[in-house]
Amino acid sequence: MSLAATYRLGTRLFWRDKAMLFGSVVTPVGLAVGMPVLMRHVTQDGVANATAIFHSTIAILLAITAFMNIVVALTSRRDQLVLKRLRSTRLTDGQILAGQIAGTATQTVGLILLCAVTVRFAADVPFPPDPLGFAAVVVAGSAVLSLLGAAYTAAVPRAELAAAYTMPVFLLAGVSAGAMGPIPLPSWLRPVLDLLPTTAVVDAVRTGDLLVPFLVLAGWAVAGLAAVRLWFRWEPRRS
Amino acid sequence: MTAIEVNGLRKSHQGFEAVRGVSFEVAEGEIFALLGRNGAGKTTTIEVLAGFQRAGGGSVRVLGHDPYAERAAVRPRTGIMLQEAGFFPELTVAQTVDAWRGFTDAPRPRDEALELAGLTGRSGTRVRQLSGGEKRRLDLALALLGRPDVLFLDEPTTGMDPQARAATWTVIRDLAATGTTILLTTHYLEEAQRLASSMAIMDEGRIVASGGMAETLAARGGRVAFRLPAHVRTDELPLPVTVADGLAVCRAPDPDLAAQTLLTWAAERGLRLEGLEVRAATLEDLFLELAPDARSAEGARPAENARSTEDAR
Repeated sequence: MSLAATYRLGTRLFWRDKAMLFGSVVTPVGLAVGMPVLMRHVTQDGVANATAIFHSTIAILLAITAFMNIVVALTSRRDQLVLKRLRSTRLTDGQILAGQIAGTATQTVGLILLCAVTVRFAADVPFPPDPLGFAAVVVAGSAVLSLLGAAYTAAVPRAELAAAYTMPVFLLAGVSAGAMGPIPLPSWLRPVLDLLPTTAVVDAVRTGDLLVPFLVLAGWAVAGLAAVRLWFRWEPRRS
Repeated sequence: MTAIEVNGLRKSHQGFEAVRGVSFEVAEGEIFALLGRNGAGKTTTIEVLAGFQRAGGGSVRVLGHDPYAERAAVRPRTGIMLQEAGFFPELTVAQTVDAWRGFTDAPRPRDEALELAGLTGRSGTRVRQLSGGEKRRLDLALALLGRPDVLFLDEPTTGMDPQARAATWTVIRDLAATGTTILLTTHYLEEAQRLASSMAIMDEGRIVASGGMAETLAARGGRVAFRLPAHVRTDELPLPVTVADGLAVCRAPDPDLAAQTLLTWAAERGLRLEGLEVRAATLEDLFLELAPDARSAEGARPAENARSTEDAR
């Protein structure tokens, strides 16, 4: 089955690219494990603070491991005409993108689960009370962020600019989820930031309330699919 | 049966009309060469035929289907060697072929594909360590994986060494002999002349010559060249010639007959025609005649420029 083939390829390439692994695995996992451990040991109300910061860092994992990684991978493959080569096979456009998105999302889910287990033992952050709900929102969030990353490549003119172009998204996701510490925000901004897909996932994990976050994610998924359909570029810009 | 049918094809890029009403047909099992200098519109034509771009005007049929609108029907039966396309540099040759086998129905076994492309000894090498010619061969291996009925080869042997080129020619001929239809572009006119049974020469988006290779060349006649003997004026010769750098060239429909006439004339006067050379028209003669700027464009053109030039047009 071709989707499985592109999925396997996407997964293999994810772990093969050493330079990217540092950015999209080592850094976010380091933050998602390191900050809760730090909070646990240096603050008075250690466990509560560690738990809060861990939930926030899920936004960073989503922004980097899912979003940034797929933006960098797809723009460089687009610019090197690898996507074009893939399109010269029997694969449909949908299979090529879905395989890549599923591959990136799977790695992101795996890393978030790994971090959840690690901070349980290293920082006493309790396991989520509703494991199924947690898993569902993490899977949905990883898939939506990967999809949005694929859509976002249309805005990135050249592969070299991919990381720079994703930086604002990363900062926005981190700040709005509270992963960058308590930053005073104007009151009107809060509800807007709550609509970010990363914040939706963090809210769901934090409160256990799934309905609103899932609606927010569904909205982003529809927007992402539409954007991919309308604007995704398979080849570098002719200039 | 006709495998590829192009009728009045037009295609523009950002206001520039790269292809301006091109028509040709390629029969099943035929090797067809699409020739022309850089920017003539060859790659654009192939991209439309391969379904990457929609025809701007006219119609295109590959195996009876519109390759753009009915990509799903055409793709499993075509193989494509793009002029330039990337690989995953971190994968080895074998891993690349294996990954592509996953994208192909009933693919050739990996070893068979590597052997066809002459890459057997390189299967464990990472793609980024391959030379330009070896990457071209890997390209060929991937294009052949699905045992395609129609093969598009855009400059298939660029960067290959002479042995690899000869081996590739054999592969292409063998494929055609078993019924594969092949459309190729090349800047090596000798390659086109040796391989293709039909051809079309494009210039500025139009076809300026086309037909069967043998018939077209035979119709162009040939030439006799020799060093003009000292103190002989061209108007003394029995046939009209042009002289450049002391070399007299006589173009004639039947070069053998012209040579005999010239030699008889020389013998009667006790003259020698030094450096006498008789040959039928080559594709290069025809090409240079029809695409006059070709010689300068052909020079020492790095492969990368080909694409940017073509794109820029």
